[in-house]
Amino acid sequence: MNPSNPPQAAEYGGDEVSAIVLDPGYSTTRAGFAGEDAPKSLIPTYYGKYNADGQEKLVFGDDVFVTPRPGLSIHNPIGKDGIVEDWDMAERVWEHSFMSRLTGTKAGNPFQNGLNDVSADELPTEMEVESEEKPLSDSPLLMTEPGWNPAKAREKTIEIAMEKWDTPAFYLARTGVLAAFASGKASALVIDIGASNISVTPIHDGMILKRGVQHSPLGGDYISSQIKAIFKANSPQPITITPHYLISSKSAVEAGQPPQAKYKTFPADKAPDASYRALLEERTLSEFKECVVQVWPGPTRLSAPSPTGVSNEDMARNTPGRPFEFPDGYNQVFGVDRFRAVESLFDAKAAIPDPDSSFPPPTPAQTIPELVKASLAGVDVDLRPHLLANVVVTGGSSLLYGFTDRLNHELMQMFPGPRVRVTAPGNTSERRFGSWIGGSILASLGTFHQMWISKKEYEEHGPNIVEKRCK
Amino acid sequence: MAAADVRDMLDLPAEGQPRPHKKQKVVEKRPEGITRELYALLGERAPPIAINENKYKGRPKWMNKLRVRPWSMAPFTNNARSDGLVLNHWQRKHESARPSVPAPAPAPEESQMEVDQPKEEEKEDAPKLPEQEYAFAKYNVKPRLPNRYTDDEYNRHLKSDDWSREETDYLVDLVTDYDIRWVLIADRYDYQPRMDTQPDSNALVPAKHHRTMEQMKARYYFIAATMLSLEHPPSEMSEAEFELHEKMLKFDPDRERDRKELAALQLNRTADEVREEAMLLEELKRITSNEQNFITERRELYSRLEVPISVGNTTMYQSSAGLSQLLQTLLQADKSKKRRSILGDGAIPSPAGQTPSTAGGLGRAETPVTQAGNKKGSITSKETGQMVRTLTTAEEAKYGVQHHERVSAGVQFRSDRAQRLTQAKSNVQTQKLANALAELEIPVRLFMPTERVCKDFEKLIQSVNMLLDARKVSEKVESEIRVLEAAKMERERKSREAAGISGPSVDPEHPHVKKETEDGDTGLLGHSTASHGNGAAHQSRAQEGDGNHKRSASVLSGASDKSNKRQRR
Repeated sequence: MNPSNPPQAAEYGGDEVSAIVLDPGYSTTRAGFAGEDAPKSLIPTYYGKYNADGQEKLVFGDDVFVTPRPGLSIHNPIGKDGIVEDWDMAERVWEHSFMSRLTGTKAGNPFQNGLNDVSADELPTEMEVESEEKPLSDSPLLMTEPGWNPAKAREKTIEIAMEKWDTPAFYLARTGVLAAFASGKASALVIDIGASNISVTPIHDGMILKRGVQHSPLGGDYISSQIKAIFKANSPQPITITPHYLISSKSAVEAGQPPQAKYKTFPADKAPDASYRALLEERTLSEFKECVVQVWPGPTRLSAPSPTGVSNEDMARNTPGRPFEFPDGYNQVFGVDRFRAVESLFDAKAAIPDPDSSFPPPTPAQTIPELVKASLAGVDVDLRPHLLANVVVTGGSSLLYGFTDRLNHELMQMFPGPRVRVTAPGNTSERRFGSWIGGSILASLGTFHQMWISKKEYEEHGPNIVEKRCK
Repeated sequence: MAAADVRDMLDLPAEGQPRPHKKQKVVEKRPEGITRELYALLGERAPPIAINENKYKGRPKWMNKLRVRPWSMAPFTNNARSDGLVLNHWQRKHESARPSVPAPAPAPEESQMEVDQPKEEEKEDAPKLPEQEYAFAKYNVKPRLPNRYTDDEYNRHLKSDDWSREETDYLVDLVTDYDIRWVLIADRYDYQPRMDTQPDSNALVPAKHHRTMEQMKARYYFIAATMLSLEHPPSEMSEAEFELHEKMLKFDPDRERDRKELAALQLNRTADEVREEAMLLEELKRITSNEQNFITERRELYSRLEVPISVGNTTMYQSSAGLSQLLQTLLQADKSKKRRSILGDGAIPSPAGQTPSTAGGLGRAETPVTQAGNKKGSITSKETGQMVRTLTTAEEAKYGVQHHERVSAGVQFRSDRAQRLTQAKSNVQTQKLANALAELEIPVRLFMPTERVCKDFEKLIQSVNMLLDARKVSEKVESEIRVLEAAKMERERKSREAAGISGPSVDPEHPHVKKETEDGDTGLLGHSTASHGNGAAHQSRAQEGDGNHKRSASVLSGASDKSNKRQRR
């Protein structure tokens, strides 16, 4: 298309008003301009806190991973169930997500930026100092929320956006709806596998069906805890994860041999908090998940015998393993264990018990098939076949190798009658940022601009308007 | 120094022959994107492939002269909003002539629904520059809803035991909010009765307040239908309105609930049930397709049976050339029909390979596999080598198997052969044969030229021929006898005259002889029969001469037999 021609109004429904889309998650916060295909700003939701010179200092963004400052502790403003707990810090983190990359700092007041300094005697006496600049005063803001966000949290969110950030227009959309939009569907069953939660959200005509929304805490962090349990029970010796910041140098060792590495040591008063180490261990674990962990492809469960008579576990054992090298140089080939780590997402009995884990053993109702079943039971029966034909998979943890195949098999077994069709974008970033992309589409539509809650309306009706407008 | 001077000095003829032209070097232009050295390596001849790279073609040159049409960040308001929110978007500058579709005037029902939102749009729009309407505002459509009831109307028409006024209000509000999308309405329906102001009612809302979608639909449709009929009595409704009214009145929540239960059952079938159903469906499909096949096959069969009987002239097919032509046309038609070939799956035989047996197979049902001992037929017998078996004579007769010593090429009809027998060398003879057959009441063309009939026919013709020959001979002899007798009589008369006796009986003798010769021309067969039957007794001839003609036809069959016998003797 020739860039000098404007798109025809009939074929292009977009009308960009430089809105900002903010999609806060438990693990990462995504922000970017509407109309783009990926968020420009991707920061961890974790923030660091430490004391320096008697003052409490905060670290945001990717900086939290970098420097092991003395006493640095890592926190997350969002609770395990995906609902904001610490509103002050959530506001700071979100603000950082768009201030650092998108809006930036405004050019200073020309009176004050030093470029136009004149001698003191010429200075006008009654110069009014502009009140502090608010970060979003010329960008409408579209934020996302999980389907089970309570009304109080929603009101708090619009309060922050309107009063602290001074946005001219605001909208709060459900992540499930946006993920469905990103797949081009107005009605869908969205299965979102996030870091702290997995959720199943039925969508009809671009709105969630509240009675069908199901979520359980078996997200990426739970998988990490399962992997840790596997490491603990590893057969030659238990594997301990030493993050990169503790390694000074390492040398190559044979598979299964103890690592030969020089470690860095921090004196007790200089060492960062244990939460810092946990955060960096988590980074190694996500690498492990990306490289090694695999979902048993099905069609039957890992514990079940396969149609040929051999148990699935034996078949998994016979498949070639996958090697992984840890930061300290220890490496090992992982065989059947790589299937076992995620099996409990589908089969609660397959969970690996670990008394030290912060996650209680999963109940059968928390597994994905059961969530889907419960979700469908909550919606009208006429809608169920249509939802099953439009299953949308999104969320970073859904990128586990073989996940969608297994999900497809499980759903087909559970519902042999209706047609089951799983839609999962193949593109990694489309899967990770599904709800952000949907928000980007929505906020750049010409027809959407009548949906914004304007500042005026907010002032008229108060924060309760979000309940009326963002249904 | 001019060239002329040089020539002069060197004693060369002035401007003799024209100077040889310098060899024009044909230099092909080196295409761009290939270095000179590399191009030189290619040698004289141009490479067989075209060297041209895909270069980005910028805008055409004339476009560069166009003035850039600037865009600007411009504020706009959306007419679909009531609060006059000003947002900014990029817009062409000075674009008064932009063909934007003006938003349609707000629908009448819209104004009814947004009663609480006063007409501030116009007030706000007025001070703004009169720019065109926002292009997307026209998509702000709302479904048409019936008028809201008043207190009076509610009390008179809409009261219900099951539904309180508050809950009804709540339901209608929800329907308005969610644009009659029942799935969403039922999902969000969460009516809290007033009494929950009491501190005690933190407990769950009593279960009796759970409303199903069918209950909501029934209530709403009742309200909507009532309001519609209050607005216009059913007699004054337009057709569409009346239909809607009827539909809403006829809503049956129980039936709808039953339907949903069935749908749930259908959805929750087990894998076995699904498999069984699939199997049954497959079976059904097979049965119907089989039936279809059966019907088409039967129709084809019928159409073959009802082939019209040809009444055209068949003489052109009686020669072998004509027949092979017929075969060609039939094969052609067969090929073009693209149906199962009548010759089977084998390749269509070339004209040279058309053995008489295939031709016979086309033409007649009676197809003797005659060529068993034949040189040409041996090809076919080799092909069907395993099929050959020896037949007893009875079987041979039964199946019409024959063994020929020698068979002429091409096709011939047995009836043809029989026909040929009736053709004698001379026309007179042919005529005679035909007359004989006619007298025997045997048609010239045999009705049923079977093997045996043909053989007998052949025998008959032979005997007829023999009879004719015999008669010729006898005639000859008779006429000689007559001549001799006449001569003898003459001599006797002369001798008698000489002796003085004149016989009176001689007179009738003369005319009789004359008559006899006439008869010989016309009624040859009868005459010969008579002559044969009576032997050579010429004395009685005078008396019988007249009766000959009457007798000949009736006696003929017997006579011919007798003549045969006589011939044998």
